[in-house]
Order: sequence, then structure tokens, then C-alpha cells
Amino acid sequence: MKRRTLLAFMLDRPGVLNKVSMLIRRKMYNVDTLTVCSSRIKGISRMTITLKEDDPRKVEQVMKQLAKLVEVISVKELDTNNSYWREVAIVKLEIEAARLDEFHHRYNFEVLDKKSEDMHILQVAGATGHIDGFLDEIGRENIIEIARTGVSAMEK
Amino acid sequence: MTGKTLVLRALKDLGVRYLFGYTGGAIMPIFDEIERFDDMTFLMARHEQGAAFMAQGLTRGALSTDRPELGVCLSTSGPGAMNLVTGIADAHMDSVAMLAITGQVATGVIATDAFQESDVVGVMMPICKQTYMPLSPEEVESTVHEAFYVAKTGRGGPVLIDIPKDIQNNETPADYEFAAENFTPQLPGFLYSPNPETDAIKRAADLINRSERPLLFCGHGVINANAGALLRKFAEKMNIPIAFTLHGLSALPLDHPLSLGMMGMHGTVESNRAIMEADLLIALGMRFDDRVTGKLNEYAKNADVIHVEIDSSEINKNVATSVAINADVARTLEALLDEPMLTYKPRRRWFSMIEEFRTVMAADLEEEISRGTGSGGKLLMKSIVHQLSELTGGRDLIVPDVGQHQMMAARFYNYQTENSWFASGGAGTMGASLPMAIGVKLARPNERVWSISGDGGFQMNIQELGTVMEYGIDIKILILNNGHLGMVRQWQTFFFDERYAGTPMRSPNFGLIAEAYGITYLKVEKLEDVKPALEAAIAHTGAIVVEFVCEPNEFILPMIPAGGGFNDMITSFSMNSPDTDEADQGGAS
Ligand SMILES: Cc1ncc(C[n+]2csc(CCOP(=O)(O)OP(=O)(O)O)c2C)c(N)n1
Repeated sequence: MKRRTLLAFMLDRPGVLNKVSMLIRRKMYNVDTLTVCSSRIKGISRMTITLKEDDPRKVEQVMKQLAKLVEVISVKELDTNNSYWREVAIVKLEIEAARLDEFHHRYNFEVLDKKSEDMHILQVAGATGHIDGFLDEIGRENIIEIARTGVSAMEK
Repeated sequence: MTGKTLVLRALKDLGVRYLFGYTGGAIMPIFDEIERFDDMTFLMARHEQGAAFMAQGLTRGALSTDRPELGVCLSTSGPGAMNLVTGIADAHMDSVAMLAITGQVATGVIATDAFQESDVVGVMMPICKQTYMPLSPEEVESTVHEAFYVAKTGRGGPVLIDIPKDIQNNETPADYEFAAENFTPQLPGFLYSPNPETDAIKRAADLINRSERPLLFCGHGVINANAGALLRKFAEKMNIPIAFTLHGLSALPLDHPLSLGMMGMHGTVESNRAIMEADLLIALGMRFDDRVTGKLNEYAKNADVIHVEIDSSEINKNVATSVAINADVARTLEALLDEPMLTYKPRRRWFSMIEEFRTVMAADLEEEISRGTGSGGKLLMKSIVHQLSELTGGRDLIVPDVGQHQMMAARFYNYQTENSWFASGGAGTMGASLPMAIGVKLARPNERVWSISGDGGFQMNIQELGTVMEYGIDIKILILNNGHLGMVRQWQTFFFDERYAGTPMRSPNFGLIAEAYGITYLKVEKLEDVKPALEAAIAHTGAIVVEFVCEPNEFILPMIPAGGGFNDMITSFSMNSPDTDEADQGGAS
């Protein structure tokens, strides 16, 4: 199914996040990621939602119903080919330092902590696909704990 | 000033005259203040659900008067607020602007499961247009003003304000000021765009000109925009027939030559068949509910759709639109009436088709109405409603409950007065009629109001007879008693092999109940007594209860089965065992 990214701006009032998630639940979507942060303007939050849906009419419905919420100022769907999608992952994994070096030139990561010779905590940033690629290559079986922020997005 | 004073000052500034409600610990401070505001009248409902429906009735009744006002209901926290839920959900489904004010436990104990604490905002959020919880007395007044603005602007809806008890009691700082006249809510995302775009009007006009078999749909938006006269003018000017949604009824006289009556599950044959044949639907202020469309992929296959709707999220939701007009219905009709490109057509073929559709069930229905009784000699609802219509000239206000009698009232009362039909539609809440009729009567004191219920629904809010008694509300209450939950029984007859699980019901002696409340009561069992009883109800000053002993095997037809298409329309039905009904009709006398 097609992955969609919705970008919404809304008044930072109590209960808004609750309403958005309730609406998406009612429409029976399972949200892939949802991130909220403050925007350039004080009192206005910026929310990025990713979910999977093929039917453009259903996406339009969700957007219109989001826009209908009293606090929501604007909603749009981001064109995935024409926007930046970024997230950050913090990963604790078992890996030898030497092996980690092999990845340095290809992936953008930072070692936050070296717990022991083969135990590292890393921070990986980039597009979702980039992070997935990194995790696949390094071997997901080596991961002890992982925290991902979810997608933040901006149009080019 | 205290929060409680500011709540009432705001309501007074907003023109509120009636408060419906029920007290309790967490709302006591506000109740204690009501007496100081003598331009507001408090009516005590006997159940908070009743208060919510009274508020709905007031808003709906008043919107076509020269003094539109918003219904307001009040309740305490916890159980009081939870009892409002059904009435509020109903208002949400039917786009009725109203305000609910609930007391909440003090801020210091919120979220500790304090006595009578419920997460009212959490419960109400999905069934309200907006919810608020002011956390300081300074916020109270602006919150009430914003709540009113949100409730009534654009598509109407219920708004909740949950006010913690300490906020009601606390004082604002000494320098607190609020000027109601200068208040504008700061809601950059709450856009209201009543004016249609010129380009959309042109495209609509073009489709209308090209259409051979157009059909106008009159929805609730026509009533809410008081646009009945404009619609009539446009339909006459363009010579286009009109079908009504349940909530569109009474926008213009039902017997207008261009009227096809109600559409949908229990709509007329002519409106539903016309929808199947139409090449253009001009839908005004409606949302293509499933009871209107039936199976979507078979719906109006040959038609383009012009959809005029103030809530853009309704456009393209269920039915794909050719021209979307996200605007107020009245302004759109004005723009269309001014559109020079539009041309009149005689549409002879279209009207002769429609005339043919009109004849499909006409004879059967006429026969039933004139016969007036079923095989067991009991009264037919159709005939009672028809006689009421004749007697009142179709000019009175009708507040049905939910069930067969509701559909009978929708179909067989000849609505002449704009905004004279007040039903629970989207939610279909049994028990709505009696309390809603009280609100309607307060909004329209000089018109006659009929509350019409089945024996089932009447007993759902029967306690509001207490409100009728205490405040001397002059409404005419009809109970069409068929000894069953009739509408469900009809489905059991058609689709469950006549197995009547959970639908026969014994009723109390309604005469004794009316008497207990000091309300006049009449019981009608014979056809020849129907008219005299209705005449007596009209002649009687004050409330009266009239019970009619009705035939349980009467059906409301046609019927498009739930989830079926228009081709599945049932126009006649004969029972396997029509005379085996032994249900006790209850009531001793
Ligand atoms: C609160 C509520 N509960 C259940 C229903 C389901 N329901 C719809 S119509 C109906 C029967 C109504 O019976 P009655 O009030 O006697 O009216 P009649 O159909 O006989 O005219 C029922 C149970 C409902 N609409 N509302």
C-alpha cells in the first residue's frame, strides 16, 4: 500500500493530539508515525503523520476531516518525491568496533557511547529508507534496543 | 467576579432565555446564580437526556423565527454529564447547534477518580463539534462566547464546556475586563466560506442546462439556511422536481406540484425511481447518508452530481461529485437564480415518467388510508396521520419519535409551514420526541406542536411528562400504540421469518399515567373516534395525551432493505400468518 505523509498545522491547545489520533482510529488507519513539534509561530504546532492508503479519495476524506477540527489550521499531503523525510534512530547494538568502521563512509551515524569493545550506542539520522538500510546491513539480530523518532518532513 | 457569574453573564449577553437542566454537586454554584439573572428561565428536565433534547428542540424551532437562539443544557459531573451523552450525540449527527455546560470536580482532584468524576471532555470529544475546559475564571466568559460562535457557525453542532467547581467559585483578578461586543474568537483554522465560487456556479449552470432529467435534493441545509422559499423559486424557474431527505421535509409545501416527497429507505416510489433515472442530481445541504443512498455502487448510476454543502468534508465522501460547491445553500441558490445562462425547459418526457412512478403505489396507499383499520379492526397509523394533516391543514409543527410512526408522519403529513418537522434522523434516538417537542414549543409558543411517539419510544423519556406538567407546556402528545416495537417488528416480518424476538411489549395504563401528572387523556380505539379525539386535542388548552390503539401488522412501504439497492425496493408485502398476533396491548381501561 502506498505510504502517505500528511502535514498539518494546528493551534497548540489541550486535546488536539487526542482528536487527531481519535479521528485516524475511527477511519481505521494504523498510523505508521506521528510526530508533533512547535512551528515557527508561537502557539502553533506542526504535525507529520504517515500512514498507508492506496485510495486517494480516502486520503482526501481524512484530510478534510482533519481540517474540520476547530484547532487545525491547514492540512496537506506531501508529495513524497518532492520532499525531505527525515528521522533519527538511537540504536544499542552488539558490534565490533572494526566492523563499525566499514560503515562510516556510507552511512551518516555518530557513536554516542562505547559500552565495551563490542557494545555501542549509535545515533543514525536520515531518510527512513536510509536508516532501514543501515539496520539491515548491520544485521537486525545484533540490535539490543532501538528508539526511532518517526518522520519529520518538509517539501523541497 | 466569579466564574459562575461570568458563565451566566455570557449566556445572557448571547441572548439565552432558557436553561434546561438538572442540578448536582459539581454544578451547584452555577445553579445558585441562576436566580440572580431574571431574564433567564430555568426548566428542570426529569432526566439530563431530556434536557439535551429540549435544548435541541429550542435551537431547531427558533432558527426560522426572527429570534434565532441556541439551546443550552446544564448538568452536574459524572452521571449527570453521562446522561447528556445520547442527546448530544444525536445533535452531532443532525448538525444541531447547542451548548452543554457540565460541572466538573475541582481541579485539585481531577484525574484522581474523585466522587462523580468522569472524563467528560474525553467522552464528549468525538460527539461534539468542540469541547472546552476553562482552567481559570478569566477564561470562562470568552470560552462561552467562542463556544456559541463555533456551535452555530457553518454546519451547526453541539459544543461542551466542562467547568471545574473551583473555577465556578473562584474570583477573577480585580483588573479583569471583557467586552462582549468586541469579542472575536482567534481561530485561524476555523474557516467559514458561505459564498459559492463564480466558476463553480458557471459549471453547475452548464450541467443543469445540458441535463434532461435533473432532480433537486432538499436536505437539512435548506432548513438551516432558511432557504425554502429560494429553493421553491429556483425549482419553479427551472422546472425541476424536488426530492426531500428526512431533514429536508417542510422546507416547502410537500404537495407542491414539483415535490416528489421523501427519498431513501422509506421514501416515495416516485422520488427513488426518479433518482435511478435522473441524469443530474443537484444536492442541497445534505450528506448522502446510507439510508438515503442504499447500496452505493448502484446509486444514481446515470447521474452527474452537483453537491452544495457547507461542510466540505461531506463533499466526495459517499458519492463522487461532478461540481462541488462548498458554500451556504441560500447564497448558492441566490447565485443560481442570478445566473443568466440558465434556461427553462418543459421536460415533458421527464415529467411523464415521474407521473408514472407516482401511480405505482398510489392506489394501495389511498385504499389503506381510507380503510383506516387493519384486519383486526385496529387503527392504521397512516390514517391517523392523514386525518391530523387534514384537520390542521398541514400547518402545525410535528415532532415524531423514532420508528414506524415517524416514517408515517414523514410521509403522510402534508407539511405547509417552513421548518415544521423536527425528527431525530442521523442517530434515530427513541425517546427524542417528548423532550424535543417541549423545546420546540418554547421556541414557537404561538404554533401548535404535536409530539407523536410509539408505545416504545414514549416510555424512553416518559418522565418528561413531569416537565410538561410543572411548566404548563401546551403540547399535544399522541401515542400510536401497536403493542410492539413496530419498526423492528416490520424488519422481523420481512427478514426474520416473522420471529418476533424482543419486540412485543406490554405498556402501562397510559391514562393513569397522564392522570398522575394531571394531564388530560383520551384513548381512541375506533376509526370514527379518531377525528373527534384530534379535534378535542386541538380545542383543549394545555397538554393532552391521546393514545391510539394501532394495528401491529401495518407496514411502512416502500422499503429499500438496509444495504440494498433501489432495485430491491419492496412495494407490497403479505404476511404468512397475518392474524396470529396475540400480543397484549396493555392498558387496562
Ligand atoms: C434508543 C434506541 N434504542 C433502540 C432503537 C432501535 N429501534 C428503532 S425503531 C424501534 C422500534 C420503535 O418502536 P415504537 O417506539 O413502539 O414505535 P413504532 O415503530 O411501533 O411506531 C427500535 C427499537 C432506537 N432507534 N433507539
